[in-house]
Amino acid sequence: MLDIRGLSKRFGYGKGEVTALHEVSFSIAEGEFFTLLGPSGCGKTTLLRLIAGFIGPSGGSLVLDGKDIAAMPPNQRPVNTVFQSYALFPHMTVGQNVAFALEAQGRPKSEIDPAVEKMLTLVQLLHLKNRKSSELSGGQQQRVALARALVAKPRILLLDEPLSALDMKLRKDMQIELKRLQRETGLTFIFVTHDQEEALTMSDRIAVMSGGRVQQIATPRELYDRPANRFVAGFIGESNFLSGKATGGVVEVAGGRIALPDATDGAVTLMIRPEHVVLSANAPDALQLEATIAQLVFFGTDTHVHLTLSDGEKLVARVQNALHGGLSLNEGDRITISLPDKALRVVKDEEIAA
Amino acid sequence: MSKRSFDVTRLPGTAVIAMTCFVILYIPMAILVGYSFNAGKVIGNWEGASVKWYGAALQNQAFLNAALNSLILATTASVISTLFATMAALATTRTEKFRGEGAIHIILNQPLMVPEIVLAIALVIIVGQIKQMTGYTGLGFLIAAHTTFCIPFAYLPIRARLEGMDLSLETAAADLYASRFYTFRRVTLPLLAPGILSGFMLAFVVSLDDLIISDFLKSPGQDTLPTYLMGELKRNLTSEIYAISSLLLLLSVLIVAGSWVATRKKD
Repeated sequence: MLDIRGLSKRFGYGKGEVTALHEVSFSIAEGEFFTLLGPSGCGKTTLLRLIAGFIGPSGGSLVLDGKDIAAMPPNQRPVNTVFQSYALFPHMTVGQNVAFALEAQGRPKSEIDPAVEKMLTLVQLLHLKNRKSSELSGGQQQRVALARALVAKPRILLLDEPLSALDMKLRKDMQIELKRLQRETGLTFIFVTHDQEEALTMSDRIAVMSGGRVQQIATPRELYDRPANRFVAGFIGESNFLSGKATGGVVEVAGGRIALPDATDGAVTLMIRPEHVVLSANAPDALQLEATIAQLVFFGTDTHVHLTLSDGEKLVARVQNALHGGLSLNEGDRITISLPDKALRVVKDEEIAA
Repeated sequence: MSKRSFDVTRLPGTAVIAMTCFVILYIPMAILVGYSFNAGKVIGNWEGASVKWYGAALQNQAFLNAALNSLILATTASVISTLFATMAALATTRTEKFRGEGAIHIILNQPLMVPEIVLAIALVIIVGQIKQMTGYTGLGFLIAAHTTFCIPFAYLPIRARLEGMDLSLETAAADLYASRFYTFRRVTLPLLAPGILSGFMLAFVVSLDDLIISDFLKSPGQDTLPTYLMGELKRNLTSEIYAISSLLLLLSVLIVAGSWVATRKKD
């Protein structure tokens, strides 16, 4: 439904020119909860503002339902935004805020009033209809902002880090609430966040961005299990990285060897999640390495085992805590660990901004 | 907290100094208002309380003419200058930075810096020539001159208000299908209103109070309140002047208080 084709954005000119977005291309499907995830400065907010129309692209096109909307002003795009600061109109009541979009479109009052009531009911705020928006709590303002953006039935709802101003507990509730709203309305959501947990729990698909480029687009599960490059692996979840040398499909790492057909000859980086590291020598088809336990850190549900390999590289393993009895490991112990070949991935460096 | 923050009201003698300052500031005005209720004709010679000089003032045709002129002049000049000031403030805050923006800011505020007598002398030369060429001697010249020096007074509070406004509100309006004009009418203008009001009031008071430029530019027989009072002071010093001055003071106080209340309520 939304095709982003070679979209780019540069700010400034001459020597001060900065490319915030490098020719990005992908498509978003009808009814999808799509997340743009990345650290600050990765270009995710720039991309959102381009879709909303607050800024114009330096190149490329934005095709919504077969029509290029790249040059259209924001008030003509069937796209609405929930702002990070909510941007509620402070001189209006909750009801007036929600009615704004319909009034601006010149709809008749007989149509506006029921639509506003319906929307406020959906976000459970009907009882606050005549309250000034400045008198609401953060969570309530958040829901007014949602109702205001949804009332005109946009084709796409854009959400610019809408949960970042809320405290932890409220944020978790709003995550569930947002997902419910999206299911109930069947709308396409494009959600911007730097919080990987938020992205993993809510999204149908995630685009991981860095340096103004899309590093990978995939489902949360796929991103976690099969990160496309080192940046994605490091950004989503926790990862260990090991550098090794590959010759004919066999990788040599810290005194151990393992056959990995993916590896191309030369220097390679291997990645493994801490929960996949086995703290014993008896795992089949695994890379076995000698290690010293540098530190044990108790985390409640599990224990993080910090290991030092024979070549000085560091590795973290995560072991679930059993109900009875502690770990039979002590700091300073020398053990053999196994890295199963199924859990080891050869990762490329990310695409670096040119 | 281990360390109490610095608070000037806790210093010894603060209350005494503050009270002294207030007394010095307001005693002359209090005396003026007091003597306006003097029954005697000669200034400074108390002969019992009376409101007769207020009665006399309200029947004095020359005073009433001057008052009417002042009101017309102050209203017109402050409306026009507020309009210009609003447009200027929008242009200097709601556009991308442009070349010469700093210069525009300086030029707009120039009337605050130029000695008023210099502006008056400059204007009297031009206005004298135009009067000769056209034969027009109405209030127009005073309105134009007052508008000029009122603009910066109206501009400053309006600009301050615009700078404090959250820009994302206007972006949000545009996102919610509002055209530029609709955004201005429904979002920018209502939020700007307290700033516009205080700009208008300030311009009004400044115009009402002006003596030098008005005295230089007025045509024969034309008087504003300040020029009328000045003339009366030179000719016959009676308690009526105190009554008139008190009325002028009351008007200024009402306007300033009105502006304060209006700005406060909207926040």
